[in-house]
Amino acid sequence: MDRVLEIGGYAAGYCGRLFAQCGHSVLRVNDPTPPAWVGDAAMAMFLDAGKTPVDARADALAELAGSVDVVVIEAEGADAVTALDFDHWRAPVKVAITPFGRTGPKKNCPATPHTLLAMGGYTYLTGDARRAPLSLPGHYVEFQSGGFAFTAANACRLSGEHKTIDISMLEVVMALSQFTTVAWHCAGVIRSRHGNDFWSVAPANMFRCADGWVYVNITPTFWDAFAIFLNQPELTVDERFVTNAARMRNRDALHGIIARALAPETRTAIAERAETCRIPLGAALSFADVLADPHLASRDMWQRVDGSGGQARSPRPPWRVHGEPWPTFA
Amino acid sequence: MANGPLRGVRVLDLTHVWAGPLATRALADFGARVVKIEAPTGRGPRDCRGGAPIGGWLGGAPAIEPWNANAAFVKLQRNKRSVALDLKTAAGRAVFLELAAVSDVLVENFSARAMPNLGLGYEDVARVNPRLVYVSMSGFGKSGPYRDRVAFGPTVEPMSGLASVMGYGPGEPRNTAMAIMDPIAAVNAAAAVVDALRRRENTGRGVHVELSLHESGVAFCGPWLVDAQIGGRHAPAGNRHPRLAPHGVYPCAGDDEWVAIACRDDADWRALCQLVDGLDGNADRAARMADHDDIDRRLAAWARPLRKSQAAERLRAAGVPAGSVNATPDMTADPQVRARGFFVPLEPGPTPVPGHPVKMAGSDSADWTPCPRLGADNRAVLKEWLDYDDERVDALETAGVLVNKPPR
Repeated sequence: MDRVLEIGGYAAGYCGRLFAQCGHSVLRVNDPTPPAWVGDAAMAMFLDAGKTPVDARADALAELAGSVDVVVIEAEGADAVTALDFDHWRAPVKVAITPFGRTGPKKNCPATPHTLLAMGGYTYLTGDARRAPLSLPGHYVEFQSGGFAFTAANACRLSGEHKTIDISMLEVVMALSQFTTVAWHCAGVIRSRHGNDFWSVAPANMFRCADGWVYVNITPTFWDAFAIFLNQPELTVDERFVTNAARMRNRDALHGIIARALAPETRTAIAERAETCRIPLGAALSFADVLADPHLASRDMWQRVDGSGGQARSPRPPWRVHGEPWPTFA
Repeated sequence: MANGPLRGVRVLDLTHVWAGPLATRALADFGARVVKIEAPTGRGPRDCRGGAPIGGWLGGAPAIEPWNANAAFVKLQRNKRSVALDLKTAAGRAVFLELAAVSDVLVENFSARAMPNLGLGYEDVARVNPRLVYVSMSGFGKSGPYRDRVAFGPTVEPMSGLASVMGYGPGEPRNTAMAIMDPIAAVNAAAAVVDALRRRENTGRGVHVELSLHESGVAFCGPWLVDAQIGGRHAPAGNRHPRLAPHGVYPCAGDDEWVAIACRDDADWRALCQLVDGLDGNADRAARMADHDDIDRRLAAWARPLRKSQAAERLRAAGVPAGSVNATPDMTADPQVRARGFFVPLEPGPTPVPGHPVKMAGSDSADWTPCPRLGADNRAVLKEWLDYDDERVDALETAGVLVNKPPR
């Protein structure tokens, strides 16, 4: 079991969360002057369960770092890390997470996840054509950066190597950029926004039903089954829809057919029929719906956590090691 | 092959599409010796009858081996080796079990029943290697009422609850365009592998690790899920932020050009007020939240005559978090990522591919190897890992168990 020192925001916090969930001992340094936008009770309950909070001034961090196996620090820029004398701390594995990394012309530029998602190419692709692009809500940038930090630190602990690790949150976003960059370099295609449509497959969209919305994603393999799911097998021989290219050309007509077919049914009924017909479809759920989801309950997805907001169920980490239970925190 | 801290770890990679190959690419970037076990048809047919792939062809054309030129596929396979093995044959499965016996990790992302149906489920493989870490990534996991549902990232995404906060407003939910359940699951899978390897150090035993696209998405939504139980209310709010103001994207000069701006605190706000006319530098966060519509109008008017890069640079120079809303060419041209050598011209063309976001001394992209051709390492891997001789490899090739091109 490692001793881990966690300093900083939600990326370091998520990395620390993974360490704590995996049975390691995590010291989380309280920020004496937290940014105005920090203080979300739910986030604290999600991130901090199982950690030991400590108060430490900046000049005491080096000594604390000398007593642990792993340090994970998140800072607003490269110089903020260097100013702490981080490079001389004695922990065997040290991870610094910053918006742009510790080198380069933007290493100290101000950033938030919103601005990094924009620079990393995600925002441009999300939302409707001819409307403003949409930023992804939540904490994708921080949590993915924290995940890489956890993997890097554990890889070094496995090999026994002493390392100082530099993680750029912008590069995390770009590293996970699907086929966006090769489509530009190899096909000259600049990906663009298409609302809920997927740019190269039809039908792939969200449709309103009796009690909400469902998303279908019908790649060519599933087209025949989807026509049967709609109770309209004749669509498979309709020239407007016989190939994906034809379906793309006649997307509006196809969407109209699907919308009319699904409108009277509930999400549950549609999802059950989709399972029977073996087609990819998912219902749009509220968070209350997710908390009541029978599949997640059957897979023991929830753990109890305490916090200033009271007691609540929080998701356990998304992987399970068969035969080994996750720790409990409440 | 990358020279990272996982260089002593052998990984058998039975993944396809995006989440799985991205996970094993991360392991390979950390130095793991990843062998991709590929079906003869795993890269598509021998001809181009399927049309151009989604990310185009390497070098812009299918060339003489189109199955090796799918750019979106190739981008995920660097630093790996390729063994093309027909697991539908008894001989292929026997070779596979021999490889598993000398491996540390196996990662697969087939549907829940596929590997057991091949006789290669966890119990089957653990019998030949009790120290193996066996990672299964499926849509909904191997148990529970949804286990047999068909899953793609975009259909799982709204099931996580994300669509209830993503969109232009109530009544206009949106999916992300990037199937983000896949990269979330990928990062989780790489984390799960190193966690399991460390557990093995303590116990000496391998384990079966299971994760799903669905649960990865639910874990990502964790803060909202907790908040929903302690009084939080959620709805799509466009680009607004529940605690920050201003927070949005604003049109710039040109067609579909935008700049993203976010003020974290009063200091950011005061810096913004130095640049933009008509803003009240004394407005606190509550006042800014209340006045967001008017602030947005003033920011849009300020940004409209500027190029997006110009607007972003001015804002950042003043201390305000800002970024161009980058289309693909802007991403790869960004001076920051160029200075750090993030995009690596690894593949023919040359085709720059996104690099590894983790930098540490002793491992960089200078050691990397491009995506291997289908079956390029059949002979080398079987010799190095299993001590096969040429005659034995030849026999497997003659029988069609090992291949280096798709069947006609």
